[in-house]
Amino acid sequence: MFKKILVGYDGSEGSKKALAAAIDLARHYGAELHSISVEEDLPRYAATVGEVLEAKAEKNGYFAKLNEEAKSLAAKQGITLHTKVVAGHEVETIVNYSREHHFDLVVIGFMGHSRVYDRVWGSTSQNLTRLVPCTVMVVK
Amino acid sequence: MGDQYIALVIAFLIFVGSVISVETGISVALIEITLGVIGGNFLKLSSTPWLTFIASFGGILLTFLAGAEVDLVILREKAKESLLIGGFSFLGPFLGAIGYCHWVAHWSLHASLIAGIALSTTSLAVVYAVLVETGLTHYEIGKIIMASCFITDLGTALALSLLFAEFNLFTLVFAGVSIVVIFFLPKGSPRIFKRYGERVIEPEIKFLFFILFLFIYISKLGSSHAILPAFVGGLVLSNHFNQNRLLQRKLRIVAFAMITPFFFVNGGLHISLSMLYQHFGLFVVLFGVKQVTKIGGIYPFARRYVKKEAMFTTLLMSTGLTMGTISSMYGLTAGIIDRAQFSVLVAVVVSSAVVPTFIAQKWFYPSHVVTAENDFPENPKRGGGDV
Repeated sequence: MFKKILVGYDGSEGSKKALAAAIDLARHYGAELHSISVEEDLPRYAATVGEVLEAKAEKNGYFAKLNEEAKSLAAKQGITLHTKVVAGHEVETIVNYSREHHFDLVVIGFMGHSRVYDRVWGSTSQNLTRLVPCTVMVVK
Repeated sequence: MGDQYIALVIAFLIFVGSVISVETGISVALIEITLGVIGGNFLKLSSTPWLTFIASFGGILLTFLAGAEVDLVILREKAKESLLIGGFSFLGPFLGAIGYCHWVAHWSLHASLIAGIALSTTSLAVVYAVLVETGLTHYEIGKIIMASCFITDLGTALALSLLFAEFNLFTLVFAGVSIVVIFFLPKGSPRIFKRYGERVIEPEIKFLFFILFLFIYISKLGSSHAILPAFVGGLVLSNHFNQNRLLQRKLRIVAFAMITPFFFVNGGLHISLSMLYQHFGLFVVLFGVKQVTKIGGIYPFARRYVKKEAMFTTLLMSTGLTMGTISSMYGLTAGIIDRAQFSVLVAVVVSSAVVPTFIAQKWFYPSHVVTAENDFPENPKRGGGDV
């Protein structure tokens, strides 16, 4: 049923559950498995290039380690995980990436915010479910 | 208010600023300016000689860092495009703002020149953050924009150093010493760094600070400004910094932790909200002058070299922050502009960091570039595809 699966992975508890589910699904369906990690919070309106570069270097180091762990977790199940790290807004980036690369399933972890936040902005999971053009699985 | 109390409050504001920056993802500089405004307008803080001194050194250090961030390879590669786009990005608002301030707002000629310089700047850092976030640093358009920003920065440094120099014998000394030091830096400093670097007492950072203080001292003797030698000094060392990331990082840590916050907070302290309110109309008009003249200067050349992304390029090149604040601060401390003019100029500069960036990303983002074949080039250092 699913040939190309994308999992959103940022190292949070929810995304770890999503990764485990995505690996299981990829094994079950013999699907290609990709992960996307979105670097948010690069300083906006910076005064020096150095400020941006240092913030980015910190994020790069974090995601490099995280993706190595994710790859080895997938490899244990006989799955090759293709990782991608992209800077940008989380929802916008995942939506665009899934559309442009024709994924047929996007797996994400449930990201709980406060009730007020969810009411005002909508949760990240809600927005992704609404905007991603293919099937979305939210893992709790 | 005693020095100790002012130092205590400013140190607290600087700490709070860094926490807010981490939590919100907004540049620490912008937050420091805002906290300075709060300190000056609501906590009744005022600048002191020691604060002004550290802040003026902070401005020179920021200029040196801006020079050191220049990518000479990109600059050579895109020399023609960047000279035209970056040159007119400087000239358009420079002439436009001078004209408006002098003939319409009736500012003195020197105050109008400060306005011209402050509003002609383009913030490479603001632009760079957008390019990194959108992945455009790897593409033709990103390289052209960055190279053009370098040229605009150079225009600012040239104008600030030359237009206010009172030419005398010491100006020749200033020029001569600056040239000798700048020739010495690329060959001499790596030797010093190699022999004395990577020690906890940091002789290499102390050496760079000595050079900057030398520029400040001789520029003062020559009745000029150290911004030009500081920028060019950084530029001639940029290759070395690119190869020596540790030194670059240490310099940034010292600068961001202890020196540049005083520059931005001090800038904020001088902004009077009541004066800004009184001159709100002028603020709006000058913001318009900056944007219109930037568009007029950049857009025709952007159309020629990056046709599909011309407006995106133009809007990003219309941003300003650090160099604009440095220029305005120079005008204020040299007594060329008054506090009301300073408040208006810095408000325009800060607004130009935010508004064009927002519009460029929201309505002119060139998604066709990054969604083309091979989208993001791979970068093995990151454990995944990179932007």
